[in-house]
Amino acid sequence: MSQIGKLGYVDSKLGAPTSGQQTTRILFNTIEAPGTTSSLSFFKNFQGLTNGQTNLTQNKLDSMESMVIKTIWLTQIDSSNVLQSFGGFSQQTLSIIVGNQTVVKNLPIHFNQGINGQAFDRLHENAAVNSDDNVSATDTLQTRMPIEIRLLTDIVIPPQVAFEVRIESNAAAYGTGAVVCALSGYGKIFSAGNTF
Amino acid sequence: MALSAQDKILYVANKLGLSSLNLMQGSTGAVYDVDTDISGQIFTSASRHQNPGTTNITENQFEVNEALLVENIAFYVKNAQGQTLNFQAVYGSEAVIVFDLVIGNKRVMKDTPVFAAGSPYTFANAAQIAVTVGESIGTVFRPRHQVFMEGAGILIPPQVQWYVDYRVFNVVTGATITPTDATAIGCYLFGTRVLLNFNTSI
Repeated sequence: MSQIGKLGYVDSKLGAPTSGQQTTRILFNTIEAPGTTSSLSFFKNFQGLTNGQTNLTQNKLDSMESMVIKTIWLTQIDSSNVLQSFGGFSQQTLSIIVGNQTVVKNLPIHFNQGINGQAFDRLHENAAVNSDDNVSATDTLQTRMPIEIRLLTDIVIPPQVAFEVRIESNAAAYGTGAVVCALSGYGKIFSAGNTF
Repeated sequence: MALSAQDKILYVANKLGLSSLNLMQGSTGAVYDVDTDISGQIFTSASRHQNPGTTNITENQFEVNEALLVENIAFYVKNAQGQTLNFQAVYGSEAVIVFDLVIGNKRVMKDTPVFAAGSPYTFANAAQIAVTVGESIGTVFRPRHQVFMEGAGILIPPQVQWYVDYRVFNVVTGATITPTDATAIGCYLFGTRVLLNFNTSI
């Protein structure tokens, strides 16, 4: 089933409106100065974030909006604006909770980090360029890459259902800059059409 | 017409009499663990390992109505500091992992090699390019150590134990290489996941 078919199927099951502008939707949320922690929750806190740090104001889509999550993207930037490996090199897992249901459960994310070349799928080359001794100042190219995971299945965020992305680790270091999570995929946004 | 991942899951579930698996949440997932005991087996001692620092499972079997269609098997090294490292970078190009995947009492993958220089299933995939300090072009490739399953993959059904049996060899001399605590071998199994979903039953 295609992303479009899956979204239509779920929307119809839930009685959600099937009209609306079809588009590619990317949601993102930032956590400032996460520090060293065992747990991060994205799309939970929007207070104090600007439009450059999130494109939502609450942890749910509007009543006429829904989307399919196909790609998860995570990055860490330090307080000097330098891209870092997300959570250092430590083992971390990701869960996505939609409503009361865990729809992605403890998915390890560190293999797609672009440092050891064991990305889940063949398409991701993980071509981060890194000096042998990790001295970023002497590198001439980008030294780190964000984590990006392409899901095998279509995960739907229906209209007006709260969702959350949780990262768990054993005290991973996320630094004093910021970490960002983006969810990308096919979606529908509100379109008044000729209603107004 | 090729069998899709979902079709394969439902086919096996039907064969096993798992009538409610098709009602569960479809997802994408992976399980990983490290052979910290240097026992030659991965996943068997997951229940004793730190979560998620070493593994993301509490035992080497899924609970009721959970399953994983294995579509990709990968190997890596975890060092004493808990870092995930590239197998070739630690063991050198002469190393080769030969592994079996065992589900229940059945060996479903047999004597499969994963070469440190880059396993056969990951050709044309330069994993990571590292540069020597101060140079402008990449001088080191970090190859992948993965087996992408042909066809639709292999299903690990609910409540059936699984593990990976492996040994590390020097492909040049044929000698066995024994991992250490600082060079423990880890493995992940990635693919289409089925998660328990109660729907309206509770």
